[in-house]
Amino acid sequence: MVYYLIICRSLTYAQRTAAALERAAITAHIMRSPKSVATKGCSHAVKISQRRLADALVVLRRAGLPPDRVYITQGDGSYKEVELY
Amino acid sequence: MIYLDSAATTLQKPPQVARAVARAVGSMATPGRGGHQAARLAAETAFRCRQAAAELFGMTDPERVVFTFNATHGLNIAIRSLVPPGGRAVISGFEHNAVTRPLSALGAHVRAVTGPLFRPEAFLEELDRALWSERPDAVICTHVSNVFGYVLPVDQAADLCRNRGVPLVVDASQSAGALPVTPETWGAAYVAMPGHKGLFGPQGTGLLLCGRTDAVPLLCGGTGSQSRLQDMPDFLPDRLEAGTQNIAGVAGLLEGLRYVRRTGTGCILARERRLIGRLIRSLRDVSGVELFTATRPEDQSGVLSLRLRGMDCETAGERLARQGIAVRTGLHCAPLAHQSAGTLESGTVRLSFSPFNTEGELAAAARAITALA
Repeated sequence: MVYYLIICRSLTYAQRTAAALERAAITAHIMRSPKSVATKGCSHAVKISQRRLADALVVLRRAGLPPDRVYITQGDGSYKEVELY
Repeated sequence: MIYLDSAATTLQKPPQVARAVARAVGSMATPGRGGHQAARLAAETAFRCRQAAAELFGMTDPERVVFTFNATHGLNIAIRSLVPPGGRAVISGFEHNAVTRPLSALGAHVRAVTGPLFRPEAFLEELDRALWSERPDAVICTHVSNVFGYVLPVDQAADLCRNRGVPLVVDASQSAGALPVTPETWGAAYVAMPGHKGLFGPQGTGLLLCGRTDAVPLLCGGTGSQSRLQDMPDFLPDRLEAGTQNIAGVAGLLEGLRYVRRTGTGCILARERRLIGRLIRSLRDVSGVELFTATRPEDQSGVLSLRLRGMDCETAGERLARQGIAVRTGLHCAPLAHQSAGTLESGTVRLSFSPFNTEGELAAAARAITALA
């Protein structure tokens, strides 16, 4: 299944991010960031469905919770960073 | 036992606090240290606690709610973040050793704004002068004196500090859970409070509400974030929460915060003032009892200090304890407050209340004190 990972600077930031998304009826799941994308060591990410990224970015911008980075899953299990405009 | 020492630690807690602590010990690990159920449950509890605190204290961002072990821990972080070694601080004349000792350890030049007890106008005038003459690195002000229950005019002190561009630290140890504590309205740099007093959490819990994000960590270590870097993270709360947190305590504190929000700080304050008023009325005409009370009820909260003529305060406390009445005696870790009030040599007997005290308990305490006088 294809999904997006919103990388967050801290667990608490991830929790705020997930809470803002859930309030907007966007299902969000907090998880530890995969090592391949956690460039500074351990971090947390919020996983959302591929269909909801655009909505999620609008919600997060309004909530003052800009994502650090966003990744999309690849068919081989790896992650590719998504450019945000 | 009639427990009248809530200014030190509230002993009677809502029953759900102890249940939450027990549940957490049996089911929770540490937030951010794993993706498993036990870590996740701990993370959810910690976040709910931050959210509950942010809502109670009118803060928009739960990331600025930092867990500490007590108010002293938070005050040490705040003071070391703002006052450099040999720096300058203006403090109220009613500060606890949790403020004066860290400043002393820094070799800070400290100006105490003493002012008479229960005279907030005089305090503000002297504070204004001190801000001009001292040009301090920070002002540190207790919201309520732990010895006398004197409510210091923090709202107006915050205005003065804002106008002069001086960071303000508020010690809300005696006010959190009863009086309005509004860090964002005050524009305070930091507000420190314990969890185990008016928030009804267990001992070993506290909160530091941060108006600034550049605090200097008192402890460095693992945070579960940015672990490849050797500097502490530059974001809150991780920057100030090194090491495993007291998650069982946080679970209890969450239930305490929920109790306060459900009951309402206004109701809690009104009840404590009713109790203190009743005790004052019972004792004010008793010969040999010297009460330290405010003329205006709004200048005093939750604490009543007294002296018994011809009796050492420790003797009085011991005799009351023998009758099952728990009070605090001596200097209450606040010699500066006693110096300001002229009670440094004698100390005082301190009675402090919680909403769980009853009028019957207060009547019994009044009878016991009258008999000692």
